Amino acid sequence: MKTIEELHKRIAETSYICGSCGSCRSVCPVYREIGWESSAPRRKIALAKEVFLKKKEKEATKQYAQRLQECTLCGKCAEICAAGINTRELWLNLREDLRARGMEHPNLTQMASQIKATHNISTFPNEARLDWAEDLDEVEVEVSKAGSEVAYFVGCVSSFYPMSVGISESIVSLLDRAEVNYTVLGSEEWCCGFPLIASGNAQQVVELAKHNVEKVRALGVKTLITGCASCYHTWTHGYPTILGEDLGFEVLHATQYMARLIRTKQLVPGSLGETVTYHDPCDLGRNSGIYDEPREILLAIEGLSFVEMPHRRDLADCCGGGGNLAAVDKDLSQAIALKRAREAVATGATILTSACQQCVQTLQMAARQEKLPLEVLDVTELLWRSLEE
Amino acid sequence: MEQALQKICGEKRATTDPFELAPYAKDVAYVPAILVHLLTNPLPKAVVQPISAEEISSLIKWAKQVKIPVTVRGGGSTAYFNCIPMKSGLLIDTNRLQGFSELELDQGSNRKTVWVKAGMTWKDLDDGLRQQGCAVCSSPSSAPSATIGGWISMGGLGIGSVPYGSVHDQVMAIRSVTATGEIVELSRPDKGPARNKASEQSGIQFNDLMGTEGTRGIITEIKLLVRDVPEKEEHLLAVFNNETDTGAMMSWLGGEHFTSLYNVHFSSPEFIMTLQRAGYAEEIPPGKYSLEIDLEGKRDEVDKAVVQIKKQVEFLSGTLLPEGVGAKEWADRFKSLRLEQTLPSLLAAEMTLPVSQFATFYKRLRQLGQKTNTLCVTYAHLVSPETALVMVLYPSDELNLIRYIVDLSFTSNLYKLGHSLGGKPYVIGFWNTPYLKKIYDKGERDRRLQRKHAVDPHALLNPGKGYNPPNIILNSYVFGFGMIMIGLFRPMVLKILKGGKGL
Repeated sequence: MKTIEELHKRIAETSYICGSCGSCRSVCPVYREIGWESSAPRRKIALAKEVFLKKKEKEATKQYAQRLQECTLCGKCAEICAAGINTRELWLNLREDLRARGMEHPNLTQMASQIKATHNISTFPNEARLDWAEDLDEVEVEVSKAGSEVAYFVGCVSSFYPMSVGISESIVSLLDRAEVNYTVLGSEEWCCGFPLIASGNAQQVVELAKHNVEKVRALGVKTLITGCASCYHTWTHGYPTILGEDLGFEVLHATQYMARLIRTKQLVPGSLGETVTYHDPCDLGRNSGIYDEPREILLAIEGLSFVEMPHRRDLADCCGGGGNLAAVDKDLSQAIALKRAREAVATGATILTSACQQCVQTLQMAARQEKLPLEVLDVTELLWRSLEE
Repeated sequence: MEQALQKICGEKRATTDPFELAPYAKDVAYVPAILVHLLTNPLPKAVVQPISAEEISSLIKWAKQVKIPVTVRGGGSTAYFNCIPMKSGLLIDTNRLQGFSELELDQGSNRKTVWVKAGMTWKDLDDGLRQQGCAVCSSPSSAPSATIGGWISMGGLGIGSVPYGSVHDQVMAIRSVTATGEIVELSRPDKGPARNKASEQSGIQFNDLMGTEGTRGIITEIKLLVRDVPEKEEHLLAVFNNETDTGAMMSWLGGEHFTSLYNVHFSSPEFIMTLQRAGYAEEIPPGKYSLEIDLEGKRDEVDKAVVQIKKQVEFLSGTLLPEGVGAKEWADRFKSLRLEQTLPSLLAAEMTLPVSQFATFYKRLRQLGQKTNTLCVTYAHLVSPETALVMVLYPSDELNLIRYIVDLSFTSNLYKLGHSLGGKPYVIGFWNTPYLKKIYDKGERDRRLQRKHAVDPHALLNPGKGYNPPNIILNSYVFGFGMIMIGLFRPMVLKILKGGKGL
């Protein structure tokens, strides 16, 4: 863990690099909605420069704190940055400093308390983590089954939120169909800690990381799969850094694992006569480099017509659901989601897929709210649907 | 004031909140507050984000009525205070003027055009056009941030200028709002009447809006020539041993008039070294002068040009780096600021220069750098067969006020060097008004001023830019003398601060 002095030094050094060119403006989903320069990444960095490099503490106002937390952490600004700044890391460092200053958004403070109390992001007790599995007629989901090859880390959203349980149901159904020897952690699965990392609260993640890794190691599985892009990013990028060691097992996103099953013919997709597009989740695509496998799955479904959106892969726009934005400004998050959903509709697709429970949920809400002719599904849900039909 | 403006633009697109206003008092360049406040009053009283020409018209009429100046801002990606208020007032942010029309085919010339709103960035327009098989003809090296209206209001030279000229040559018609609040549409003089429709009253003409930095009218929409996406692209990266061979290659490339020559980008050994220190450009051998040569066009034309270029590179004892290196450089063409990872506080001079003088310029620049203990980091674009747009950057330290101020004087040395070889500062804005005499002869200066008075008699639009120096300190003689005096202290200050950043 870095000291506050180290944190400040790091922010000061990074902010000094920014040349204020503004390449980050037009790709920033938040700036595109708010429109004022104060919401552009270059301005946030300029303010950080004032506070940390030039020691002008008076610049650290409430409005400054609000703007820093109005960010989806999509990383698109880092992708285009003319100075090559790792802006995503900078935003996390700045949020960590906000917490230290007691300027964290109250909803995020409440969320941190919630996770501490229940080990998940909902208000439900963690014992209810497997309630979604009760609706499955043909699949029996076994908890902490010894000798399993694969552990499925379900994630908070598709464990507790009714809109998203279709994802976990589809993933276990697919694993079952492919006769994979898998298990889940049930109430021993704790929140991966991604929402805390996104709040600049990496310290609180240590306990969660230790617990989750210990439980998975105890199962002796070869592979851990996650259905959530943010869980995946946390397991692959966050945990090894936080714990300072290799995990000792392979971590794959569900789409990577399903694509592997399709390649080895353990899973043969069905057919669907639909026009489908795909939204790259920021944490799976730009921030983890996984673009091909979700598309590989979609292209393997017979009869499916796949169309790309103009903003895709490393240039994909954010769904608006990342970086805890919905907790800070729900309307802003929804406005960003709506823009993305409209881009999907413009392709002529009737189904928008993604590979992240948060993206699916956010885009689904936007599509419903605007009554867009668009169904939003996870890639695994669509794959399962092709088999069911 | 806020209420009046919100009445025109709506509640969410007008603000007088100091937190929101502050960023509009800044552009890319860092200038010490003491200098800024000595010479200007940059903080606007209000910022508005109109979405139509009609709203801009109402805003101008309102500003005229209450007698406050109006400054227009696009991407805010220049370094000369072009879009920063000199006398506070109203700032019009054009970034909500977004979108472009369907492609049109000009029957006469058989060329494609689009009407594009002024607030789109060049990259966004190009991305959008490419989905339809077209592309912009040329773009600024700040394409991800520079707006369409912004670049047209500036010099308009950049990537793709060799075959397509200045962006001003690609504008077929333009819609704008005049200083009296009229909405006008003007066609290119050679394509129709330069003055038409409602423009009679103000007398504004098409050329009043080209490169005049928002001082004669506010551009809202542009009819722009576009091109088909080329059949083939080839990006070569050649390195040379000295400036003479590099300059000869640039002149040869300009003189050969290859139809497929799209862009030539020069990087000095110092530029490459600075990038390499930050972990980039590792494929380029240290100490070499590099030319990225970008070819785009019909397959056979590109292939033919590649063969000839390879021969010429060899003839000049240069080396072509392996395939892929040039493509990588091209992909990173908007990322030249990565050198700030090594040199985080840079000052600069940007000028146009005859290509024939490039080698001499570089040689003298190196001598000047050695003499003054200044690391000069240079890159350049060929912008016509005969002209290069040269950017010279040198390190300073904005955390040290005295160092930064004495370093500012070096920019004046750079312009002096460029001028002695036929070069001119590229953009005027505010900070380059002392150099107006180096840019335009007296006749042209008078004509420009005459046009300004004719179309904006009350100096409502972007006052203080582009014409006579707005302040005695910026008078060319006073400023020149001041820079010489400050420059005299520079060696001493650098000596005292030896070991400071950038040295």
